[in-house]
Amino acid sequence: MRRREIYLDYAATAPLDPAVAAAMTDCMTREFANPSSVHDPGRRARRLVENARAQVAARVGAPAGRIFFTSGATESNNLALQGVLRGGRARPHLVTSRIEHKSVLDTARALEAAGVAVSYVDCDAGGRVNPHDVAAAIGPETALVSIMHVNNETGVIQDVAAIGAICRERGVWFHVDAAQSAGKVPLALGDAAIDLCSLTAHKLCGPKGIGALYVAGGVLLAPQIHGGEQERGLRAGTLATHQIVGMGAAYELADPAAEAPRLAALRDRLWDALRAVPGARLNGAAEHRSPHVLNVTFPGVEGESLRLALRDLAISAGSACAADSPEASHVLRGLGLSDPLAASSLRFSVGRFTTEDEIAAAAGRVAVEVPRLREVAKSAPRWCSV
Amino acid sequence: MEYSSEVVRRCDAPRRVGELPRATPGLSSGEAEDRSLQVWVRFELQVQDGVIQTVRFEAFGCPHTVAAADLTAERLEGQPVNAARRVDAKELMRELEVPIEKLGKLLKIEDAAAACVSGTATRT
Repeated sequence: MRRREIYLDYAATAPLDPAVAAAMTDCMTREFANPSSVHDPGRRARRLVENARAQVAARVGAPAGRIFFTSGATESNNLALQGVLRGGRARPHLVTSRIEHKSVLDTARALEAAGVAVSYVDCDAGGRVNPHDVAAAIGPETALVSIMHVNNETGVIQDVAAIGAICRERGVWFHVDAAQSAGKVPLALGDAAIDLCSLTAHKLCGPKGIGALYVAGGVLLAPQIHGGEQERGLRAGTLATHQIVGMGAAYELADPAAEAPRLAALRDRLWDALRAVPGARLNGAAEHRSPHVLNVTFPGVEGESLRLALRDLAISAGSACAADSPEASHVLRGLGLSDPLAASSLRFSVGRFTTEDEIAAAAGRVAVEVPRLREVAKSAPRWCSV
Repeated sequence: MEYSSEVVRRCDAPRRVGELPRATPGLSSGEAEDRSLQVWVRFELQVQDGVIQTVRFEAFGCPHTVAAADLTAERLEGQPVNAARRVDAKELMRELEVPIEKLGKLLKIEDAAAACVSGTATRT
């Protein structure tokens, strides 16, 4: 029997909102001109771009002129880290955490190979980075601190206000990867001690392939893509007008104040159902979490077999960006989980179109498959479940 | 990860999961594991007059491992007991379309089946 597919992977990507699709279609069919052109069609396209820039800026509480469009949060993270640390500054030291997204960690490793010193701060068992640990890692050579706002695997919210205040006091720029939080958790960049902030559209029911970097006034970045003066010389390349229009529409539609309580209720309802599965344990601090992500370990069940058994549920083992890797999640290992437990963990993430019926059906499927798979490994040695 | 339809079918409904009653005459068992690969496999055989009558298995492992253990259990029934020494991981790989990087896990199926006859368990 073919089961109904249930999409609970909004932290990987979200379906396009029909209103966003309509705005993009209208742009693609009517306003195809290059927004850098000075003729009338080009000027109309430019107005669409600037309107979208204002929409994105309004959602994150930033001046529109400080938003620079990129191809997504991965590029934004690369631009922020490499733009600062390859920019010829005299202080070649980066501070970040061990539980960042691969687009930060891999960029940090590339910088290390180029001679930049990198300090990796651990998180606690709840997945929180202690601001004091960040302060302790900052030295006279530190140019930049990069800490994510909401962790993409656990949904745990980092204390970026406290970390930002430390950075400001120490004269160090602070970059926040907000790919998972923008539009879901309130963010007022203009009021925060945040100098650089990475944003994306597709996790907010916008299109893939478009994102932005917020760059506070006075922050000097070396461009990483050359070949044009677009985005005031910071990011060369013809502007993808329809993508930008889609991002603007998505950010205007997103309303965390209205949507977060509903998502949190769905998430909590799911956890209430899943915790009835014997041994189920929640990963990440319960009191500091985004409304849309739930990460649960089911000890004694091999992770790959569990995901195959639950293939009608669109859920993840962890980051979708590392889904092909046989390695256990670096984030869950950072929380102190063993490799078998990290592999036996599932990330559920809810979003705009998730319904209560889907939550109930998903929990029911897990409640059937986990005990069934435990029977297959009933006499397995203890290391399989600790 | 892609899975052949046979792997999916066997994982959805493995037919020989479990244990044989402790009092089963001619009962032998064998297991093998590799913690670094996160795989553990156990077989139990009921042997009568040198012929394997019934096989049960348990496995903690990926879908390819579970499917290959199920297929092995099915194939061993009705075979002379020495067939348990001749389980071939590469043959299982071909039949179930298992990717080469899973060979190490399937080798534990070879080891667990052989241990039923030799009475040894292998742990890595």
